[in-house]
Amino acid sequence: MQIQILPGALALFIAVGGLAAGAQPQSAALNTFEEGSVSREEGLASWQVFYEVASHPRCANCHVGDDNLPMWSGASFGAPRRHGMNIDAGVSRIGAETLPCSTCHIAVKTFDPAINATPHMPPKTALAWQLAPVEMEWFGKSSAEICAQVQEPARTGGRDVRAVAEHLAEDVAHGGFIQWAWAPGGGREPAPHSLQEAMDALMKWQAAGTPCP
Amino acid sequence: MKRITVNGKVHTVDADPAMPLLWVLRDELGITGTKYGCGIAQCGACTVHVDGVAVRSCQLPLGAVEGEVTTIEGLGTPEAPHPVQAAWIEHQVAQCGYCQSGQIMQAASLLDTHPDPSDDEIDRAMSGNLCRCGTYVRIRAAVRAAAGKLQEASS
Ligand code: FES
Ligand code: FES
Repeated sequence: MQIQILPGALALFIAVGGLAAGAQPQSAALNTFEEGSVSREEGLASWQVFYEVASHPRCANCHVGDDNLPMWSGASFGAPRRHGMNIDAGVSRIGAETLPCSTCHIAVKTFDPAINATPHMPPKTALAWQLAPVEMEWFGKSSAEICAQVQEPARTGGRDVRAVAEHLAEDVAHGGFIQWAWAPGGGREPAPHSLQEAMDALMKWQAAGTPCP
Repeated sequence: MKRITVNGKVHTVDADPAMPLLWVLRDELGITGTKYGCGIAQCGACTVHVDGVAVRSCQLPLGAVEGEVTTIEGLGTPEAPHPVQAAWIEHQVAQCGYCQSGQIMQAASLLDTHPDPSDDEIDRAMSGNLCRCGTYVRIRAAVRAAAGKLQEASS
């Protein structure tokens, strides 16, 4: 399905995977918005969209702090708790010190949501499973805290806001964790909004001058 | 058709690429030392090595197998057991034995990358391997003993 959309400044397209909502890999395009074309109010609303994605369990559970302990939280988990099985991803953030994440979260050749259909199975993508870098800690962080982090290239792996948005789209090409977040399978709740909406939100937020709550 | 190397031997397998390696090992190749406990990476009974790293074979589709597979049959032999197997015998770890090939493969993989683990590290590495007979205390003791053996052998 190809949808023509006309955002503030430029007309680009999005190509959505097609099948049942949330079940298929998504792809998304980078829509740009002219600086100053987005009001502060709209910018804050856009930030809120991105915050809702970032703080959702599908993203935040692995964006944890320097204890390197992945979390289990969200609609199907009751109260948030540490990942079962005493999992500690270590400073390597991939479990190299004791039990690699990829012992169970196998890296498959191409991301296919069908492989994650069985409840309680470890989700798999085409990338080796890992925690996000520690400076990108989101779990339990407020909207203001995450906003300050995304504003600061020193804490985004050197990415400005546009590069962060591009990074989200790139992940799809790698069959990685970001598209998985919207097609998690196994009865898990997908991240809210869509990849395209999350990217648009970032770009609008940037055009509004990256206002934080 | 997919070629996989198991315990040093090349096999050509004619099976669905989505078939988990555990099924391939047990049902297609008749290598049954690796056990089925849960099928969803919750128990560790199916642990094998791929290029020396512990992997839950119930999670690894045949099509995604890259590297050499080692099962409990390939780790050591009755005549020349792997140091982890030798420590297991010394400590008489097994009760019913069902979980033990997975436990041994997990422990061998840990010691390969981490030759002198603390008790905490042993627990972190081994907590994904369940034992319904509750042999955990002997498992930890045997992992420590195996670490000692490996260090002696390398010094
Ligand atoms: S059978 Fe694979 S972990 Fe239980
Ligand atoms: S020895 Fe019986 S399950 Fe572990």
